[in-house]
Amino acid sequence: MQELSDKLKAPLTDLLLSIADDKLMLGHGASDWTGLAPILEEDIAFSAISQEEIAHAAALYEVVGTMHGRSADAVAFGREPSAYRCAELTSLGDDFDWSRAIVRQLFCDHFDLLRFERLARSLLKSVAALSKRIGAEEATHVEHADVWLIRLGRGGDESKTRAQAALNALSGAAAMLFEPTDGVDVLEREGIYPAGEGSLFDRWQEDVGRVVAEAGLTLEVVPSPADAVGGRRGRHGESFTGLLDEMCEVYRVEPEAAW
Amino acid sequence: MVTQERILEVLRTIDDPEMPISIVDLGIVERVGVERTVVGASVDIEILPTFVGCPALGMIENEVTEKVSDLDGVERVKVRFVFEPPWSVDRISDEGRQSLAALGVTVPQRCGDQPLVQVGVSVACPFCESTQTHMVSPFGPTRCRSIHYCEACRNSFEQMKRVGGA
Repeated sequence: MQELSDKLKAPLTDLLLSIADDKLMLGHGASDWTGLAPILEEDIAFSAISQEEIAHAAALYEVVGTMHGRSADAVAFGREPSAYRCAELTSLGDDFDWSRAIVRQLFCDHFDLLRFERLARSLLKSVAALSKRIGAEEATHVEHADVWLIRLGRGGDESKTRAQAALNALSGAAAMLFEPTDGVDVLEREGIYPAGEGSLFDRWQEDVGRVVAEAGLTLEVVPSPADAVGGRRGRHGESFTGLLDEMCEVYRVEPEAAW
Repeated sequence: MVTQERILEVLRTIDDPEMPISIVDLGIVERVGVERTVVGASVDIEILPTFVGCPALGMIENEVTEKVSDLDGVERVKVRFVFEPPWSVDRISDEGRQSLAALGVTVPQRCGDQPLVQVGVSVACPFCESTQTHMVSPFGPTRCRSIHYCEACRNSFEQMKRVGGA
């Protein structure tokens, strides 16, 4: 990787971790559906998506690990809870309510696609190449979530009611996806994470809103106050610590073990 | 002293762990660098993953390292995974396309920058060549394949996903 000044290293670490941590949590949670998704093809699809979320996270942990001289595993599993940068939404359980699983995925997939679109234009060439490649895979996740929400919204009364309930239940947490990581403005100015037209929040609202409308459903996401502190700056709730403990249980037994 | 050609010959004998196609025919071998040192050749091999973090990468890395290390005069082998240029189905050789077709996996023709998966575009069936087919799911048995169904010969088949730009 090109040499990074210390001024950029910390903000870039935070940004990449925010994406990787989101994907690690989301992929881990979604993998609970393996064997239980509504139909066989969907079981394969949702399992493949979970696997891709973890694979994308692993590739980003590798980049962060290289920057800091640590292994990807150590970055993924060897941090204090307050050093994780994921948003709360990614660790919220779904109680095996398919609508909630799909809405959680819809919100996160659209946001990830926008983040990778920006990173694909990064002046850091290695990050740009990886992001371009991940973005191509992310687009298939977006397509998957879109198709499902529309199917649920246009289905019977029960599926419509449950899809709307899931949108309502997760809209609050969705707003906190957009909490900025520390120093992200510096990365934008330096062309590491170039801003595009319109804010990420506006673009996301437009993209997700279009799908929600096509599904015949409604969504209102109120932006979080600028000073609201959440997962992006290390303040996490119980859903996160519970999931992290579950995920790290084996790793913590013997962190240096070779598999 | 070992040559680049000799190393490529060895790489041609290594199949992708998930499909009967050599990693050279799959087009994932981007660069083979041979540097002569006093103790022997130092070999650097760059591989383009088909998908980010494809689970077969570790197996490919091990097999490449093992087989190339066995060559006379090779002192050191280093395998690196890179994403530039991005891998795409355009890199699969004609021979590779044929061995995949025999398995029931079709490979799209030149794809350039098209998206990974195109909904609503009929893919020709690898068994009967009919285009009366539809996609069952963009997510198949491995991360690089989608599932399709042929209405003419009533067979299920798969397609290598296109991989172009973002």
